Amino acid sequence: MARASKSALVLCMDVGFSMSNSAPGQEPPFDQAKKVIQKFIQRQVFAENKDELALVLFGTDNTKNPLAQDGQYQNISIHRHLMMPDFNLLEEIENELHPGSQHADWLDALVVCMDLLQKETMGKKYERLNIVLLTDLNTPSCADQLDVIINNLKKAGITLQFFLPFPVDADEGDDGGRGDGAGPRHPPQGKGLSREQKQGLEMVKQVMSSLDEEDGLDEVYTFSNAVERLSMFKRIERRPMAWPCQLTIGSSLSIRIVGYKAVCEEKVKKTWAVVDAESHQKDDVKRETVYCLNDDNETEVQKDDTIQGFRYGSDIVPFSKVDQDQMKYKSDGKSFAVLGFAKQEMINRHHFMGSQVIKVFAPREDEHAAVALSALIRALDSLNMVAIVRYAYDRRSNPQVGAAFPIIKEKYECLMYVQLPYMEDLRQFTFPSLENNKKFAPSGSQLSAVDALIDSMMLVEKHEDGEKYDTFKINSIPNPQFQRLFQCLHHRCVNPGTPLPPVDPWLKRILDRPQAVSARCQAPLQAMKKCFPLKEVVRKKEQKTSVDVFGSGEEPNAKKLKMDEEDKFNLAEISEGNITSVGSVNPAKDFRALIQQKTIPFGQACEQLTHRMEQLLGNRSTDYYMKTITCIQAFREQSVKVSNAELFNGYMQSLKRSIPDRNLQDFWDLLVQDALTLISKDEVEASTVTKQEAEQFLMSEEKKEVEAAPAQDDGGDVDDLLDMM
Amino acid sequence: MADWDAYYHNEDDDVEQEEGEESAGDYKYSGRDSLVFLVDASKEMFVKGEDGEPSNFDMTMQCVRNVYTSKIISSDKDLVALVFYGTEQSKNPRNSFKHVYVFHDLDSPGAQRVQDIDKLRGDKGAQQAAETMGSGETSLGDALWCCSNLYSDIKLRLSHKRLMIFTCRDDPHGRDSARDRQARTKAADLKETGVVIDLMHLMKPGGFDVSLFFCDIVSPPEDESELGMQLEACGKLEDLQKRVRAKEMKKRAQSRLTLSLGDGMNVAVGVYVLARTATKPPAVRLYRETNEPVRTKTRLFHTQNGSLLLPSDTKRAQVYGNKQIVMEKDEVDEIKKFDDPGMVLIGFKPMDRLKRHHHIRPALFIYPEEDQVTGSSCVLTALLQRCSERNVFALCKYTPRRNTPPRFVALVPQREVLDNSQVQVAPAGFHAIFLPYADDIRTLDAHVGPTASDEQVDKMREIVHKLRFKYRSDAFENPVLQQHYRNLEALALDMMAPEAIEDFTMPKVQMMDERLGPLVQEFKDLVYPADYNPESKPAAKRKPAETGGGAEKKPKLEVSEEELRAHVQKGTLGKLTVPVLKDACKQFGVRTTGTKKQELIDALVAQLS
Repeated sequence: MARASKSALVLCMDVGFSMSNSAPGQEPPFDQAKKVIQKFIQRQVFAENKDELALVLFGTDNTKNPLAQDGQYQNISIHRHLMMPDFNLLEEIENELHPGSQHADWLDALVVCMDLLQKETMGKKYERLNIVLLTDLNTPSCADQLDVIINNLKKAGITLQFFLPFPVDADEGDDGGRGDGAGPRHPPQGKGLSREQKQGLEMVKQVMSSLDEEDGLDEVYTFSNAVERLSMFKRIERRPMAWPCQLTIGSSLSIRIVGYKAVCEEKVKKTWAVVDAESHQKDDVKRETVYCLNDDNETEVQKDDTIQGFRYGSDIVPFSKVDQDQMKYKSDGKSFAVLGFAKQEMINRHHFMGSQVIKVFAPREDEHAAVALSALIRALDSLNMVAIVRYAYDRRSNPQVGAAFPIIKEKYECLMYVQLPYMEDLRQFTFPSLENNKKFAPSGSQLSAVDALIDSMMLVEKHEDGEKYDTFKINSIPNPQFQRLFQCLHHRCVNPGTPLPPVDPWLKRILDRPQAVSARCQAPLQAMKKCFPLKEVVRKKEQKTSVDVFGSGEEPNAKKLKMDEEDKFNLAEISEGNITSVGSVNPAKDFRALIQQKTIPFGQACEQLTHRMEQLLGNRSTDYYMKTITCIQAFREQSVKVSNAELFNGYMQSLKRSIPDRNLQDFWDLLVQDALTLISKDEVEASTVTKQEAEQFLMSEEKKEVEAAPAQDDGGDVDDLLDMM
Repeated sequence: MADWDAYYHNEDDDVEQEEGEESAGDYKYSGRDSLVFLVDASKEMFVKGEDGEPSNFDMTMQCVRNVYTSKIISSDKDLVALVFYGTEQSKNPRNSFKHVYVFHDLDSPGAQRVQDIDKLRGDKGAQQAAETMGSGETSLGDALWCCSNLYSDIKLRLSHKRLMIFTCRDDPHGRDSARDRQARTKAADLKETGVVIDLMHLMKPGGFDVSLFFCDIVSPPEDESELGMQLEACGKLEDLQKRVRAKEMKKRAQSRLTLSLGDGMNVAVGVYVLARTATKPPAVRLYRETNEPVRTKTRLFHTQNGSLLLPSDTKRAQVYGNKQIVMEKDEVDEIKKFDDPGMVLIGFKPMDRLKRHHHIRPALFIYPEEDQVTGSSCVLTALLQRCSERNVFALCKYTPRRNTPPRFVALVPQREVLDNSQVQVAPAGFHAIFLPYADDIRTLDAHVGPTASDEQVDKMREIVHKLRFKYRSDAFENPVLQQHYRNLEALALDMMAPEAIEDFTMPKVQMMDERLGPLVQEFKDLVYPADYNPESKPAAKRKPAETGGGAEKKPKLEVSEEELRAHVQKGTLGKLTVPVLKDACKQFGVRTTGTKKQELIDALVAQLS
């Protein structure tokens, strides 16, 4: 019904012999016109609307049209009847559209197009009927029927557009008045027009201005301009869907309203289907989702054997879909209920939520609603307030709280609704103050450098007439994602097997800082650079991320390690299971591996480990302490395993003795917490330590406040310790 | 401390999942946040305020509960502990500390814990606390030591460690200098291991003197200007909650980027999310037998030969105009690539060029990252000052990550705002407001109608005046989320029924009516004719309003009530067509749950039999 509106359009292109003529070094009109149609059809194909399109060629060698009789309407051929455009049509145009050697009267062609439109749209509903004529007007045409044609066009409501190789006001030496001035100018041809062309131009003017007195000539384009304009793919148009509802204030005041989405982030309509790489068939690929338990075998379970649950903190609560539906919040249908009115300045712009803006009008033809709504809009506007409303799209959707702003324009009034945050949506982060911090306070010269930069980079310019003019309007830039996607799709379709093209230069250009601004801000930027010293901090963290991948803790300062060891370690890590020494990143793990593989004698492995531990302890920070603890744990556990308590106990005792001197009390506390004590007889028979002694080993020191002795040379102690081994 | 930059919150990702490719929660955690509540349980804490004000203890419990529940909703991986000091009883892992009672050890909060806290609230709670813990001697040093053990007992990597002390005693050890010293040493130890200690000091008669003792305990402020220490003691629950909330969450950058001013001048900024729609977490699949979570694996198979397809065995395709266009997966990604991630300054515009209706996404917050590029803060501060004073915004091209097409954002200057008690309400920085492209703006045919007269507007002004209120952005709870969590809570705790929620989104109709009084009728008399009923929408809508709808509406297929009742009795409703049934439903005002035939029939039967 109303949604299925579409338009019908006939492209009528002159392929007669004069279209191939051109001045040396210039593109013949035929090629230009062909490009225009190609670009246009492309756009239509990607826009995927229901618009239908026919192609009529004139000046062809053959004749193919229903009006051709008795030598009339010769050399006019209907190439394609009214239907939705597709890539086949594009391919046909690419490969089969060639210049003809004949010529035909463009008015005759126009009549054929009108006839086609009339016949093929019969019984169907179209929003708009349109004929586009692309010609150089270089054929004599007979003006007898002009009035009849104009009348018929008017009667049938058909609109016309002309695309010519030269501007319609070429005589006056102007440039058609269109376009933003960028791009190549077409050559001045004013005086170069043939008699036929001049005559044709007069007729074009006559036709167009009788169809639309004021702006008729705006519908006459030049080829070169058109190509540029058509490069931009049509923006995705969506018909606004009306959302009828009632605005309520309290229980007894309601106003009928209709809402429309006015601004909403437009997404690409189509998604990519996964296809088989060889057959390119979507049906060849089947997606299967399996559920498996988190055990070692990854036991698969059937979907029917699974139920739904939700996390509630540390708990997972089974909660079936049925129960969920039963218990969930129920809203009672669509609503636009006023909760109260608030000052506009209480609504922060940066608290706008959701992804859309809705404009709210009174229903058409309901004057009473319009008056009531107008009263509200004007009241809010005069008080500088907004209505805080509860908005629910329908029964199934979640209610929102939002603000309805009054909007009063010259031509209309409406409310503008935007969602506001719920308490749960907000994150209260506290940031260090910037301006009260002396370290960051900018000096006067720095501030004036910023001022100069702002001045040079203003994107709003004042024109001579005092009007301000925005030179970089985002809302007139087409979404580059769509443009690029269509460019690539089109390229792949027309030139399969070739790599994707680079981003169109025009698209790149409109996304970048305007050249004028770039030029202007050169000097101020230089000044800024001088004023504000910036220094990139060399990130030590990079190393850490790589360690993160290995799933281990911090890496000790690289300075302390010899490079060859570092290399050895990395190699070892890569060829897992081939560990030859205790590395620095995960010494405990390496140590265990060495003991298990028996690559080196136990004593040697222990020596390497203790060496690493001493290095770690030299750093005196919790992270290194923790790592050392894991080493000690490994040392102890392996020692018990191989029933060798001597080395471990010996090390621990010497470690304990060195604690006060090396100021390692914190580390010792950690050891105590983890109850990492000596290996007792109970664990390893050969041990000389009793269970009690082992327990006391940690206890005895606990309550003694250790006086922080001045740290001694660490190196000496380390050597002592190592000698113990 | 510095680990959090490696943290990317998945929920913040707005990557379009165009193909429904599996993207199962691939959190990259570099550790968990932890928070220990260390609460004074001395007698002073239980003293009730004048005129029935809740005791400090009660207030604290309320606060802790709030943090628990909000953690459950917002970050259920975080670890929280609750420890009391100054108790009579002792309970801690190795029972090596007297007068320290570990109520909850460091773990992610769950339903049971919330319930535990509930038991400590109110008068009964005070009694319960007295019975289980009692009040005894105080040694903050032991308490802190015990807390440090809690941290070190955790095998998980902790990314952010915070400890909050709740007390109303500014001199907990009563001039016992040895204990004071021990507490200071332990606090210093904790701080050295990266624990941030905050003081949530509560009202006490005569005022809380921070300088007496606690100034040596708490962590120094983040920067020299932070006002943490000058704060007054909290007397109100609301204040306390605000203060706790401000500290409880570690702020994390969604990403860190360079903001390029041009000509190679790059500063570093962090991108923060200060407002993002909170949604229900996704459901977890559980194995029916054991209620253990199951993992889902998605695999692609070849339909013909059943072989497993590797990603390289597939391509991507779209169909346009009857033609399939095929691309490699890499190409599909490449198409979305325009620039490297970052922000590029395009220029400046006056604030009035930022249209209120140009809204497509919640804003982001931009704050300098001094530790990536030194000098960034100074540049941003200077920009902030000048933009704000000259009332301009900076226009930037924003590429959040690789293979993402750019969007334009308006960087709107935000000066720091403090409230009366010097708590930061709005941080200094820039709000990044997303701007719509041409495709995002829809063409509407504005409805043009008659406008209201001055008299009508004046009457409405009176109505507006009567219903004024002070809007606060955190005043409304999301009823859908709240209900969801109440349901879970009820199920988790085997409660009979979920606790009822208060739906703040519902208009308080009765109150509004009372306030408005006769105004509504007066307004209606002014704008609506006597026979006009705005509620009767379907009848009015069919009027001449809908024109050109194409085909004429089919004549109404109405059935009389008797016929219908006969059908219901004989059980032959099924013979009627769906439109007829729908009409019948409308006729009898039956609300249907769906539009399927059976649903319509069920609804009619329920109504008429």
